[in-house]
Parts: sequence; structure tokens; C-alpha cells
Amino acid sequence: MAKYVCTVCGYVYDPRKGDPDSGVEPGTAFEQIPDDWVCPVCGAGKDQFEKEA
Amino acid sequence: MILRQLANSVDAVGAIDWDRRLFDELIPLPDGTTYNAYLIRGSTKTALIDTVDPAKEKELFDNLEKAPIERIDFVIPNHAEQDHSGSIGSVLKRYPEARVVTNPKCKNMLIDHLHIPSDKFIEVNDSDTVSLGDKTLEFIIAPWVHWPETMFTYLREDEILFSCDLFGSHLATSDLYAHNQARVYEAAKRYYAEIMMPFRPSIKKHLEKLKNYAISTIAPSHGPVHDKPAFIMDAYRDWISDQVKNEVIIPYVSMHGSTQALVDYFVDALMQRNITVQPFNLTKTDIGELAMALVDAATIVIASPTVLVGPHPAVVYATYLTNALRPKLKFASIIGSYGWGSKMVEHITAMLGNVKVDIIPPVVIKGYPQSKDYESLNKLADEVLARHQSMNIIPGR
Repeated sequence: MAKYVCTVCGYVYDPRKGDPDSGVEPGTAFEQIPDDWVCPVCGAGKDQFEKEA
Repeated sequence: MILRQLANSVDAVGAIDWDRRLFDELIPLPDGTTYNAYLIRGSTKTALIDTVDPAKEKELFDNLEKAPIERIDFVIPNHAEQDHSGSIGSVLKRYPEARVVTNPKCKNMLIDHLHIPSDKFIEVNDSDTVSLGDKTLEFIIAPWVHWPETMFTYLREDEILFSCDLFGSHLATSDLYAHNQARVYEAAKRYYAEIMMPFRPSIKKHLEKLKNYAISTIAPSHGPVHDKPAFIMDAYRDWISDQVKNEVIIPYVSMHGSTQALVDYFVDALMQRNITVQPFNLTKTDIGELAMALVDAATIVIASPTVLVGPHPAVVYATYLTNALRPKLKFASIIGSYGWGSKMVEHITAMLGNVKVDIIPPVVIKGYPQSKDYESLNKLADEVLARHQSMNIIPGR
């Protein structure tokens, strides 16, 4: 599963870790995260993320 | 100050800060501000929603004494930022039986920032309620307006939404309600631009969610209370919409007149094309006014001379802020001048990563502008007009 980078602040979403604080379980692929999820560091929307090169 | 009643047993007990002129050592406050706190006395329990900036703590306590109250059962911070939460420690000292009722994220922030002991808290989550006897408070978790822990508190029986910073304004006024709508609109738009604009997608979601609640009154944590909620909610819907306006803003600096000549000519060229234009000479600009202009504008044209190869530092500052505020701009360009060489375009473009703009080819010239340079500005103005036409934002005649 690919990591995704927030283009606003540089936070990296790692699917192995998920984002438990926002209710995203470890092991959740970026594509499976609900559309209303936002970057836990800066609040940018999911559409501001890019696949890590 | 005096207590002001919003509803039976619901009073505003915060403070007016007439003199404050700068917030976060960054944001100008031309109209001062208020720190709103609200006291709700139910038949069995008493709650205090938010507190005040520590500098105004005495006013809060004077108001609580005037109420008068013997105890506070719940202190409810909707937001952990110190201008609202900063007096919680003192409130807990004076009313030791009080418990801090908030969401887990806000709790952790208050432990980090204010060192409030963790055993003082009662954690709540979305749609949880707390009963004050004849009054019921419901919590609505509303992250990212404008920190990750922000929430609203809804008083069911009186249909009052305590929205914290959302729908607020930095406006010191003795009016409890936002009845002077022209004045409040400006202050609320400024507040939105400076504080809320980066979080448009979150606001959109929260507005959607609030449709499920009957709301007669919105009581924010800064500025007047809205007893006509549609006024501020409609304004927010306009600001957060994806619709941009036929407007160009030009933040600029000129050192020896070349950039000034370019800007003056370009302003005229845009006016001739019926495009609304607003130049901001950054040596004189209130950064809040620049932020407000960014709320609606379709296009930004950044204008700078060259200083040590790059843009003028005042332009760097304005560009950095523009990028951080994530306005809904669609187009950007750069104009300016240099004496012998310049990397200004590369520097400025690299700073605009957050705003999803098409860059229109810049006009950066050597020395003082001459006729061919003005011709380039005419072409740039034509290009801006064409882009605006492509967005269907040119008003009909």
C-alpha cells in the first residue's frame, strides 16, 4: 500500500499506521479513507494529497 | 462590564477589549475585539462556556460575581486557544468543584498548553449531551475551524449554537447583537479571511451538519451574537463557495519607481477591461485587508523589484501569507523589474504551492518600463480578461 504526502504541510500518511486519532485504523489504504478525512497536521483535504514518489 | 442576557438564565459574561490592536503578534485588530464567555444556569447545574483572554480575567470574575453564582459545575472549552481557554486555570481555582467538559483532543491540548491536571476533565464526544436540569447541552465535534480540536456546544431548549471562533469577528462593540450588519459584515469577513479561509472544506461540512439543528441564535467567541443566523451563514456560504469574482489583486513594492510605473499602468489596463482591481502597496498595507481581498479574487498579480537576486522581502512575506491562507484563487502572474539579473519569478512561483493556480506568463523587465513593456502589460491584461471570461465571471452589462 502506497504512502501519500500532504502537499500543503508535508505530512506523510502511512497506511500501516493509519490515523487512529481521526478514526482511521492501521492498515487502511489511502483510497479507503473517508472523503471527509483531513490532514491531521494542517487540516488540508484529501484532494491535497499526492502519492509518495 | 455588565451581564447581558441572551435567553432566560443564559448570559454573556465575557469581556470587551477596546484597545487591543494586534493578535498573535500578526493580525491587526483595527476594531479591537471581545472574548465571549457564556454562563448557563440550569435548574440543577451551572455551566460556563469558554473563558476569556487571561489579560481580561478580572472582568470575567466580576461578571460571575454579579450573576451571582455560588458554584460552576462545568467549564466547557469549545477551543483550546488561550484567548478562550487561558483563564480556565483561574476558574478552577475559584470554583474547585468545576469539571472541564470537552473532547479528548481539546483535553490533551489543555494539558499541554495550560498544565490542567487530567483528573479535572470529563471527556465528551460528538452528539454527547450534558444535562443542567431544565437545559441540555449537546456537543458537536467540528474539527479544523480552526484547530484540530474545535467543537460547538448547542443549547437545545433555547436553540443557541455556541460556535466558538466560527462565525466570529474581531469587533469591540457594546452591542450584544449583530444589528449593525454593514459593520459586522466587514469585521466578520476580515476574521474569516485571516483565521478560517484555509479550512474551507471543513467549514462546508460543518455548515451541512448544522442544517440538522434548529438554530435561533449563534453565539460566537469573538464579536457580536447573531440573532439572525441566516445573515452570517449566508455570508459564509458565499465566502467558502468555489465561485471567484472578476477581481485582480496586486500586492507590490517599488524601490525606485520602475515597479510602481508597471503597477500603475497595469491597474489602468485592467480597469479599461472592466476588471475590478485592487493594488496593495505592501509598505502601507494592513495585512488583514489583503487577506480580505483574497476571499473573492480570481487572480493575483504579484509585483516586485529585485533585491539581491530575489523578490523584495515584503513581497516574500505577502506571498508566504497568501499561500498559507489557501484562498480560492485560480490564476497568478508576476510583474516587476531588475537591474542586471533576477530569479524573482522562480522564487515567487515556488512559494505558491498550496494555491492551485495557473501561472500566466510574467512580465519582468530590465530597468524603467518603456513602450514595449507597456505593450507586454496590455497583453497580460488581455490574457487575464480571457481567463476570467473562460470562468464565466465577467458580469453582464
